[in-house]
Amino acid sequence: MIKKILNSTKSIYSPEFPRTITYMLQTTEYRVGPYLKWFWKTQDFSKVRNRQELERTTVAKLILNTLKIGIAIEILGGLVLMFLTIGNIVPGGWGFGLAAIIAFPVIWSHIICFPVSLARLVIIDPKERQSIKKTKQIFNNHQGTKIAVAGSYGKTSMKELLKTVLSQGKNVAATPANKNVAASHLKFAESLSGNEDILIVEFGEGGPGDVARFSDTLNPDMAVITGISPAHLDRYKTIENAASDIFSLSNYVEHSKIFVNKESIEAVKYIKKNMKLYDRHGALGWQVNDLKISISGLKFKLTKGNKTINLSSSLLGRHQVGPLALVAALAQEMGLSDQQIENGIKEAKAYEHRMQPYILSDAWIIDDTYNGNLEGIKAGTSLLKELEAKHKIYVTPGLVDQGRETNKIHEQVGKYIADANPDKVVLMKNSVTDYIVKGLKSAGYKGEIDIETDPLLYYNNLPSMIASGDIVMMQNDWTDNYI
Amino acid sequence: METIAVIFGGRSAEHDISIITALSSIIKPLELTKKYRIEPVYIDKNGRWYSDQRLKDIELYTSGNIIDLINKLTPVSLQFDSGLTIVKSSGLAGRKQHIKIDLVFPSMHGTYGEDGSLMGLLDMAGVPYVGCGQAASSLAMNKLTAKQLAEDNGIAVSRYVFTTKLTLEREPARVIKEIKEKLKYPLFIKPTHLGSSIGISRAINDQELVNGLEVAAHYDDQVLIEEEVKNLVEVTLPIIGNDQPIPALLEQPLTKPEDFFDFDAKYLNGGKKGKGSPKGAQGYSQIPANIDQELYKKAEETALKLYKIFGLSGISRVDMLIDQKSKTVYFNEINPLPGGLYAHNWSKAGISNVELVSKLISYAKERFNGRQDLTTSFTTNYLRQF
Repeated sequence: MIKKILNSTKSIYSPEFPRTITYMLQTTEYRVGPYLKWFWKTQDFSKVRNRQELERTTVAKLILNTLKIGIAIEILGGLVLMFLTIGNIVPGGWGFGLAAIIAFPVIWSHIICFPVSLARLVIIDPKERQSIKKTKQIFNNHQGTKIAVAGSYGKTSMKELLKTVLSQGKNVAATPANKNVAASHLKFAESLSGNEDILIVEFGEGGPGDVARFSDTLNPDMAVITGISPAHLDRYKTIENAASDIFSLSNYVEHSKIFVNKESIEAVKYIKKNMKLYDRHGALGWQVNDLKISISGLKFKLTKGNKTINLSSSLLGRHQVGPLALVAALAQEMGLSDQQIENGIKEAKAYEHRMQPYILSDAWIIDDTYNGNLEGIKAGTSLLKELEAKHKIYVTPGLVDQGRETNKIHEQVGKYIADANPDKVVLMKNSVTDYIVKGLKSAGYKGEIDIETDPLLYYNNLPSMIASGDIVMMQNDWTDNYI
Repeated sequence: METIAVIFGGRSAEHDISIITALSSIIKPLELTKKYRIEPVYIDKNGRWYSDQRLKDIELYTSGNIIDLINKLTPVSLQFDSGLTIVKSSGLAGRKQHIKIDLVFPSMHGTYGEDGSLMGLLDMAGVPYVGCGQAASSLAMNKLTAKQLAEDNGIAVSRYVFTTKLTLEREPARVIKEIKEKLKYPLFIKPTHLGSSIGISRAINDQELVNGLEVAAHYDDQVLIEEEVKNLVEVTLPIIGNDQPIPALLEQPLTKPEDFFDFDAKYLNGGKKGKGSPKGAQGYSQIPANIDQELYKKAEETALKLYKIFGLSGISRVDMLIDQKSKTVYFNEINPLPGGLYAHNWSKAGISNVELVSKLISYAKERFNGRQDLTTSFTTNYLRQF
């Protein structure tokens, strides 16, 4: 305990403190609320920059220098006050001076919020409004078919899948990686040649109104809703708010051109008449048959009337069948040949850190560390349950941004893991660990539970702990601002 | 929590390999089990024993700072009263720190370690230890006695001649003549007691033979000269267990006969000699060996038979030479403590490094407990006669 207090004190008076504060602001995208929340939760500031370092951008340099100069002035002022007390020029100045010196970390980590907020109001927000206007203009003038991809999870995978398959017969452009906010939409719009047949745009949902705003900007011809689950609830507050924002797409797109993942229980509640559904059984009238699942991927037949397409994909898990079926069916409707569809589906690879399999120390690792929602946990644990292995290991820190429901959701996470019955569950110690353990125990899990305090150390040591025949499922990974 | 002493370094040409085996393949996985307290015991090249937690840091050895550290440390002493106790100077008013050791994990390759010397000491102390016993280690590490024992048990061995360092110095011409009379080139010249392929040469003419004998005699007082096996496939099989040995996967070094599997090929050149691949000791071979099923089975059976003949326990690695045409499996040598425990092979066989060290500890305890049941005293009237 004493050691903890000493470390904590040492960390706020360290010369590295201003850099740590700047890093925290940068990591929270200069949003004062999340920054302050993180600041007040932190006990030892020396451990904040655990995984990454401060990116030395102009804004970051400006903030860092402001902090350094401000702190120097405050300490100097405090010393002057203390000095003046000696000559009795300022009676009682000794106390004020000392207080000023002691309090500088708390004072400056809060004072810095004012210029940051002001900059957001005066510079960032107007700039964002301007970029939205410009993006809308480019999209409006574009003749290609515009497809929006929205949902609480699975957006990037769906976008990449659509792009890979449709590119077999069409000129397709899609937003890169998981870049799904206004600034990245503008960058994407500006990169277009104007000759593209199809544009695929991923809609991020960070807070209320985001999807509606993006829909207004893109004016999509069709949309895919990949599912609804508790995500970003710190800003949406409830899953209902998140769902109604995502389904606001129906105000911009003809209902028959909206494709909704039927496997998402939450999404099904918001389905409107004429919307099209897809799931592991099929899509748009196509039926899935002869499904085979392994660590190497999926194999199935897609049948409609007398027509059959044989599909094989390296994507992992039963939950991928629905998206694959939908994309194949859409490709058919858009005029691609069976061969083009088969090739496209075969070519589709797991997106980085999303159910991405690779071999480490002769064991299979399923890297699903970008997965940050309950539906993803359910999909991952179901896959783990289904696969054959000598040892099954499940690794997670839990989920972030789960709002008021976080305890309940993490008990559910524990239950999902228990259902997969891995030989070992490795939990990265944080504020939700106890709830996952509670869920595991309530579901009767009898295997080994290992609670690790240093994720990076654990990942580095993993090769020594696994061997051929083992499967390690890693779901989600918390960045430094989640503790 | 049990205390495990990992002993490494030592007065051997394989000193450096022993450090890597200890730090990466033994101490690290043992710590990952979270079940043991590890006491690293480092024996320097002069034979002095040191124990300090800082000795677990690999950078100490790669940077050369080990010399500075051991100059500051006081060598430890050992007590053998009811087990093994390491006695360290605590540096406080001459007080001593006594660390009772529950089990020893030797990580010593070559002389004074793998050859049974250390095992004899540990037997005397009455402490359980990982790996083969004194007699088995001693037999296995002498390439000549090992060959003779295998031959006596009906296992094929390549044609060979042996000599001593003294004979070579006194009558070099006679030795060369004898070799040439009995064997045909190409030949392999080996020091009989060293592992990790140190001091081994291949000779295709008289000059190379003379040079090879000189090199081998530089490392050892006994030298073995063997005829090369034709149509060669070199294989090795790591095995663990006591009376019910478990084989890993038959491994085939990816080297040509002229690029034989020497120290550089194994440890320095990233595996395949001269290729410089970054994979280190794990990149030099094919696992499982690319040979037909029948030969694979025959080699596996031969290795398991040898494991029993030599009375090996805990862990070992059996090296064999296969003539692919005649389908003959020749015994080559036994390594009672394979470098890095051959963890890369066990990993492919489905046993992680953590599981491997855990199993080795349980085998050590099983063997030790078995020996406790043996009667070690016998009452006679002999002394009364005096």
